[in-house]
Amino acid sequence: MAPSFLFSQFMGGLTTAMFLFLIASGLSLVFGIMRVINFAHGSFYMLGAYLAWQGVQWFHPTGPGFWAASLFAACGVGVLGAVVERLFFRSLYGREELYQLLFTYALVLILGDAAKFLWGTDQLSVSTPPVLAGSVQIFGSTQPLYNLFIMAIGPLIAFLGWLVLNRSGVGRMVRAAQMDREMLDALGANVGTIYTGMFVFSSFLAGLSGALVTPIQSIVPGMDVLIIVQAFIVVVIGGMGSFWGTFWGSVIYGEVLSFGILIFPGFSLFSVFALMAVILIVRPWGLFGRPL
Amino acid sequence: MRLQHCLGLALAVAASVPLAARADDTIKIGFPIPLSGPTAVYGEPILKGAQMAVQEINAAGGVLGKKLELLPRDSKANADEAVRLARELIIKDSVDFLAGTLTSAEAPAVSTVAKENKIVFVAPTAKLTQLTLPPQLHPYVFRVSSNTAVEGQAGASLMAKFTDVKTVATIAPDYAYGRDSAADFITALKKLRPDITIVDQEWPKLGEADFTPFINAQMGKKPDAVYCSLFAGDFVTFTKEATPLGYFKAINNRLLDPAEVGTIDEAQALGDQYPYGIIADAYDPVVWGGANEPAEHKTFVKDLQTFMKSQYGSGWAIVGYEAIEALSQGIKKAGSTKSDDVAKAMVGMTFDTPVGKRTFNADHETLSPEYWGTMVKEAAYPFAIIKDPQLLPAPTTN
Repeated sequence: MAPSFLFSQFMGGLTTAMFLFLIASGLSLVFGIMRVINFAHGSFYMLGAYLAWQGVQWFHPTGPGFWAASLFAACGVGVLGAVVERLFFRSLYGREELYQLLFTYALVLILGDAAKFLWGTDQLSVSTPPVLAGSVQIFGSTQPLYNLFIMAIGPLIAFLGWLVLNRSGVGRMVRAAQMDREMLDALGANVGTIYTGMFVFSSFLAGLSGALVTPIQSIVPGMDVLIIVQAFIVVVIGGMGSFWGTFWGSVIYGEVLSFGILIFPGFSLFSVFALMAVILIVRPWGLFGRPL
Repeated sequence: MRLQHCLGLALAVAASVPLAARADDTIKIGFPIPLSGPTAVYGEPILKGAQMAVQEINAAGGVLGKKLELLPRDSKANADEAVRLARELIIKDSVDFLAGTLTSAEAPAVSTVAKENKIVFVAPTAKLTQLTLPPQLHPYVFRVSSNTAVEGQAGASLMAKFTDVKTVATIAPDYAYGRDSAADFITALKKLRPDITIVDQEWPKLGEADFTPFINAQMGKKPDAVYCSLFAGDFVTFTKEATPLGYFKAINNRLLDPAEVGTIDEAQALGDQYPYGIIADAYDPVVWGGANEPAEHKTFVKDLQTFMKSQYGSGWAIVGYEAIEALSQGIKKAGSTKSDDVAKAMVGMTFDTPVGKRTFNADHETLSPEYWGTMVKEAAYPFAIIKDPQLLPAPTTN
């Protein structure tokens, strides 16, 4: 096999990985810190995509408005996250996981119908921003600029997330809340605000990833449910609640998928699920997670 | 609390009491179709087409002096749900006939319910050949859409015309339709052009979010042309990812898609990002980029646009419309609303559609051809349209 072919296959895997990471990072954050399995994370992602489309229509239908629209979408979903956390999630912390699952699943259905009501069932599409519409040749393979942009955004978010969590005062509080919520509460810290902040940040990431995905994907009802499964696989592989785990989990997912289809062309998902099964057997807590 | 219980009980009782004897002046047609989820994109316009047919037929006095009544239900593109709804429609709503379903998963499932209850069922879109092959074939199932063998022949006949193409690849969604679509195309192509080799076959899952690895893997095999059975949102996503990778350029736009990505619905979704130059098909091009538009079609599209309150309408409405037309013309021919009579009348029956006559053959198939052509940009429209749409496979006179 030609090296340029292997390289483009590798880069293809990396693109998949970084998109998944953008989505899975928020999911992993909320799970790791708040112990909430948020099935509606995919719905936030979908709303981000729809809001970005809406923003593009309002701001500048032909292209440059994309960045403003993305920010608008991410913030919009962040606000929604704040409302949902304050009104509903608040009363679910510490309850059995089953209640959280049922609630977030209900959210999936409600938000799915809301999106259908607002934007209809037509497939929508957003153009690639003109600056990133082209492509470049690297080692004899064609690499779209937009994919390269996403590959840069992924690690940036991972690094920023790590920096905030591990090197800042806020991060210290967050980690303390993760370890012992009640003790932190007793010490006078406002745990409620920390939780809301985390949830809003996670929703912001979901909205942002939904917006950033629009130039290369169609916006359709149901994209929420399709993505959440992949995001969960990534979080499970990487280790529930580990930010870097999610990052490497995404990379492994992307590359295994990318090279897996070369080896088993007829079973595109086989390699990924096989990998997840092996990891769950050997290290049930994931590659970077801690034993529960 | 007590009041709520009472209300609940009252409602339950009300629901279980059989409706007053069925009014004899309506013919009820149950219509399970996806109205939520990703496939609602197709379900909604198909239902609109069916509703329009019902409205037109009723305005003209109904069938056998009776009005048609359509009972749409959301099947969620799920076979189990479609079966549940079909049973409920038969038992609770006492429907006379069934039409509808979208996918090749729902249609065969509903077909078994139709068989058990001896009720005529007309499938407007499912393409899985097994739907009307023994042992699944039974007296009550009919299909107005194409099937994978028919579209494979059409696709192969066009591919064979590229005389310099020696290597072909396929990419298709990894489920019943996609697998059959690729296999039937290859079978047909081997007969026409034994010199062509299949160099690559990719199977992304239905609803794949990222086709990049599949696109790269396929480009690595350097095919001269591609048979691509992706559709709806998948095709939009695929195109947006393939274009910047230079995929369409690498194959000189020699991509044939048999899965109705030539409809204006798909073209509107992609807008200017449509890969102009590929060859695609549609049951109804709606916007006719050529001179051979049937006169009935012009009226149909105008009515449809008014009915749907939409500037252009949809390329999917026609299959819903045809399903109801087939059923009503079957009832008329049988002179009866009994499924046994209608089923007998429909075999060998020729019925009118806005795009010409169709005939149910002995296998309950219309073997419906579709309109194929190169997708081009035309100044009059903000989206790609089929240039000189031609019916393929060319209809045999019967």
